[in-house]
Amino acid sequence: MISPARPPARRIAALLTGTIVLALAATGCGGRTGAGSATGKVASITALDYYTDEPEHTQWGEMLTACGKTAGVKVEQTSVPGASLTPKVLQQASSRTLPDLLMLDNPDLQQIAQTGALTPLDEYGIDSSGYAEGILSAGTYKGELYGLAPNVSTIALFYNKDMLARAGVAVPRTWDELKAAAAELTRPGRYGIAVDANATFEGTWQFLPFLWSNGGDEKQLDTPQAAQALQLWVDLVKSGSMSKSVLNWTQADVHDQFVAGRTAMMINGPWRIPALNQDRNLHWGVAPIPVPRSGQTPVTPLGGEVWTVPQSPSKARQEKAAQVLTCLNDSSNMLTLAKQHFTVPSRTATAGRYAEQVPSMTAFAKSVEGARARTSELGAEWPKAATGIYTAIQSALTGEQTPEEALRHAQQIATSS
Amino acid sequence: MKRAPDRGRPYTIVGIALLALMLFPVYWMVNASLQPTGSTLQGGWFPFHPDPSGYATALRDQGRNLVTSLVVALGSVALSLGLAAPAAYALARFNLRGTNLVLLGILITQMVPGIVVANALYSAYNELGLLNSYLGLILADSTAGIPFAIIIMCSFMRSIPREIIEAARVDGAGRLRVFRSVVLPVSTNALITAAVFTFLFTWSDFLFALTLTTTETVRPITLGVYQYIGAHTTDWNAIMATTVMASVPAAVLLVVAQRYVATAATDGATK
Amino acid sequence: MRSRSRPVADLSPILPRGTGQDDSAVAAGGRAAPRARLGERSAQWMFIVPAAAYLLLFFGYPIVKNVVMSFQQYTATTFYTGAAPFVGLQNYSDILSSDLFPKTLLTTVLFTAGSITGQFVLGLAFALFFRRRFPLGGVLRSLLLLPWLLPLVVSGTTWKWMLDPDTGVVNAALRSLHLSSSGIPWLTGTSQALLSVILINIWVGIPFNTAILYGGLQNIPPHVYEAAKLDGAGPLASFRHVTWPLLRPTVSVVLVLGVVYTVKVLDIILVVTGGGPADATETIATQSYELSFQQFDFGRGAAMSNVLIVISLAFAIVYLRADRRARTV
Repeated sequence: MISPARPPARRIAALLTGTIVLALAATGCGGRTGAGSATGKVASITALDYYTDEPEHTQWGEMLTACGKTAGVKVEQTSVPGASLTPKVLQQASSRTLPDLLMLDNPDLQQIAQTGALTPLDEYGIDSSGYAEGILSAGTYKGELYGLAPNVSTIALFYNKDMLARAGVAVPRTWDELKAAAAELTRPGRYGIAVDANATFEGTWQFLPFLWSNGGDEKQLDTPQAAQALQLWVDLVKSGSMSKSVLNWTQADVHDQFVAGRTAMMINGPWRIPALNQDRNLHWGVAPIPVPRSGQTPVTPLGGEVWTVPQSPSKARQEKAAQVLTCLNDSSNMLTLAKQHFTVPSRTATAGRYAEQVPSMTAFAKSVEGARARTSELGAEWPKAATGIYTAIQSALTGEQTPEEALRHAQQIATSS
Repeated sequence: MKRAPDRGRPYTIVGIALLALMLFPVYWMVNASLQPTGSTLQGGWFPFHPDPSGYATALRDQGRNLVTSLVVALGSVALSLGLAAPAAYALARFNLRGTNLVLLGILITQMVPGIVVANALYSAYNELGLLNSYLGLILADSTAGIPFAIIIMCSFMRSIPREIIEAARVDGAGRLRVFRSVVLPVSTNALITAAVFTFLFTWSDFLFALTLTTTETVRPITLGVYQYIGAHTTDWNAIMATTVMASVPAAVLLVVAQRYVATAATDGATK
Repeated sequence: MRSRSRPVADLSPILPRGTGQDDSAVAAGGRAAPRARLGERSAQWMFIVPAAAYLLLFFGYPIVKNVVMSFQQYTATTFYTGAAPFVGLQNYSDILSSDLFPKTLLTTVLFTAGSITGQFVLGLAFALFFRRRFPLGGVLRSLLLLPWLLPLVVSGTTWKWMLDPDTGVVNAALRSLHLSSSGIPWLTGTSQALLSVILINIWVGIPFNTAILYGGLQNIPPHVYEAAKLDGAGPLASFRHVTWPLLRPTVSVVLVLGVVYTVKVLDIILVVTGGGPADATETIATQSYELSFQQFDFGRGAAMSNVLIVISLAFAIVYLRADRRARTV
């Protein structure tokens, strides 16, 4: 029953099934479909995302339903946890059961596009003008645009207002201030700052603002600029201002430490704001990530999920999916989604309007403008550089290697085949 | 001369102390599961004010996964006994050529790392649509139970007095009937032992749960715990409540089927 | 070691011993016609075929498939295009020449050796202790099995939480006993993390070792000890000259099986450290998992797990030899 000779037979079966489904749709058995022409009506399309947490799940569900209405289809939303999205997509790609509309975390897009599972958006005449440069580059693979994100985000410095006030510490703007403030804020049972330095892409993502703001670059990791950035994290751990456990913490753990009062500052994203607001006794503030020298602007990584239209045997379904995608990226919907999730609209003009309406998001709106996509330079090669970076972070923070040695090794990983 | 129990008493005290040390993690797990939400980042040495909210959260989030584990484990017990019992009987009582080949095969299974099986099954299951299915997990999880069940039952069936079987054969019973109405009934103990362990193997399986499921539809409790650690770190009491619930079958079987558990541990390995 | 996943050590109980247990003589009524015998034989085979087919599909097929995959470029793209070009020994040379490999191999060896030594020594100590008869001895001995019966994910999760450097109970105890002021970085120091996973694995393996060694001790007839006592042997001498030699066969089984099971441990490491920090607890088994299921490079993952099979096989040969020697003694 399981034999290596199976794949071709299976593929034929899948093809047959596909044909039958098409035939059924054409003859009107597939639900509320009209007469069988190539552009025949499609009653519903499927969508896959990783918004499993409430209220996010419902909010996205409502948005998809509303956009489906404008396109004249019902959108069936499925959400899987973030970690299982890529396996799920690969599995569906191999069995040719990809959804009509697929959400991807932006750094994963190029990897998936490389497999040939996605379609270029200009086939559907989608307008991509007015978007911030970073998010467009994240959605582009080999010169073609495959995905668009309605809104984007980045990370910033969150701080506990009460703790800073009691210690008489100002919000740090530069690396030196950060080190001093973190040391000042450290008490028994409490650290000055927490970051996510774990051995995953999340750890890399949190390190990028330090790397980039200092002029470091993922194309060449063994530079003094990169070493200085890594040295900053090493110093924070060595001085005891940052727990060594950051090596194992996820962004969610970092958030928990902050909420539990075990750290006075943290690096995290705006999607934590709804949870932070739940605790009435917690008075928090948010500021841009400190920069090497005063007066510089931080360069932060661009976060956000892009929506794509995968390959499908039905042109008509793809057209509908593209219409829904266009609707999600409509200025007013962008604004709604951004307000719901404390993220930033990805059209620059809309982001400006948003900052006026929601002043607390100004810091994020500003950062996003200059935010850089992780894949903008290396494309599908980014995962290797990202692996190199988190490996270097781990080696340096455990004291196994100096930052310089660790980054030399990272460069080897990034350029290996 | 003193009474015997008195002489042993110091040993009992030392034994209890050793056991307390060994089982401390189990106590700590239960203790943590009863702490109120949020406070567990520190946690007290004793749950003075036991708070069941961890269990409420755990049941809400993981109740379904517990059922999944139960279904998969029972399915695997049925499959393992169904395949292993006749095979064990044949290996124990028939002098078949090729028996040694089967035995060699069973020996080899002990050396195959689970990751090898998972690696190959992922792509095969993908083709067959068995990823994220109960059947797929039951089949994969039985890789631990079937060889073990064959060995346990085989060594037992070898000890069935020859006369019983011969008597039935002389009475004209067919091979299948002898197996069903003579061999199986007298082998109840071995069957129970094999069933208990197959159940525990499958219940504790993590590797196949991790690699052969990609969605929430069929998610065993072990994977539920693993993903809980990543996602809900504020609710340590809920995580620990889940681990306590995941430990219940082991604890229950240890008490209820103690005899079978203890003999399998020694017999299976050394007889 | 996760011996618990298959506590099967010695196949001698099922090896045919020619004790006349073949009942086909009865079935055939003494002298049977060749055709009847043939029918009889195939009827007998029907008892084995389902199990044998299962073993072939779920062990035979994966081994073959794994070998084939290890020579292919089998990646995420393969799942979409179905193309998995053969690349010869490329996967093997990639993983063996990577600078992580020697470290991974060393970690695997340290993890295995450390776990086996610890659980064997402590398991033997427990077995010797429980050999004495004392009130509640039997109950305590069976309660000791609990750590072995718990799902590994459960044990790993509990330990991970107990060993947390900042909030864990172990460091809290060390601090309150003034044994360490800052606490030990159980999960965040590279050598400490390896030590932690070894300690946890020892904790998991002790009950199994105790159970088997206890069984072995029970098989030593009491009169041997009495004879030794008459010769004036103290407890230490009687252990060295009586217990140990007679326990040798059991010991070799426990040790070699322990190795075969321990090299492939995955659950504990994934749950407690995830292979970190800085790859300090990355073993061949966890590497294979990561290559296949994190990076979707099934070709290299297969190559890595084949390395693991080779290691297991080497030990299995040692096991078979040791077993034969033990039986001929």
